[in-house]
Amino acid sequence: MKRIERAVTFTPDQIAAYAEASGDHNPIHLDGEFARSVGLPGIIAHGMLQMGILACVAAEAAGGAHRLRRLYCRFAGMVEPGDTVAFAAEDAGPGKIALSAVNQRGEAVLTKASAEYRSS
Amino acid sequence: MVGASSAAPASGIRSIPPHLALSAVEGKTYPAVTSVIDPERVAAFARAIGADPADGVPPTFAAVYALAATGPQLFGDPEAAVDFARLLHADQEFEWERHPQAGETVTSQGHVVSDISRRGMRFLTYETATTAEDGSALCRSRTLFIIRS
Repeated sequence: MKRIERAVTFTPDQIAAYAEASGDHNPIHLDGEFARSVGLPGIIAHGMLQMGILACVAAEAAGGAHRLRRLYCRFAGMVEPGDTVAFAAEDAGPGKIALSAVNQRGEAVLTKASAEYRSS
Repeated sequence: MVGASSAAPASGIRSIPPHLALSAVEGKTYPAVTSVIDPERVAAFARAIGADPADGVPPTFAAVYALAATGPQLFGDPEAAVDFARLLHADQEFEWERHPQAGETVTSQGHVVSDISRRGMRFLTYETATTAEDGSALCRSRTLFIIRS
């Protein structure tokens, strides 16, 4: 399995599109004033948006999304618009993939991330 | 014979472990929710995560058919008393027997696996089982929510 890597720079538009498509309209992802009122620096990306991109990378590594049988991650760090996150997948033994998501400061935003897949 | 009960106060009243005292919903199962995997929504979801809509239903579309389908039951449950503004999605696991197809009808059911309060934080594990129309298993979603006090 070759290493698969994809870098994504998050934008408010992408976060809003994900909110709309996923149905997660929590205002911390959409309303900067609200986000600051609850102690955040501003709007932040959904953890599930990050995991969605991670799953695409994992699916590519597995040879197709239909092969994925397990996906796990911890939401460890905030992702703000303008942040660039490198999502990567690499071989971790038969049927296993090690996953990572690291921002432009070298901080892991998703941790303990892994996937398992079927061979067909 | 008296050894086992010697730790209990003379009155016979034992202190209740804090997580049992605070959780009204540990073990609670919510009514099943049936939905159709909407092809247009699948395409919009795929575009939002940078996937090709031609590749079918993205794996984490489970965020819609599992989490968005059953999460509101937990968040809207007065017994659960979840303050949405203090809610953190701490981790997420999905396991798939099979990935659903666009247009398929699926049924999801949420269940509170555990609800533990510790040092002013609440750790609530919510599991959602999704099945196909014939009752076969599709996906199991397991979420850890942390609710700050």
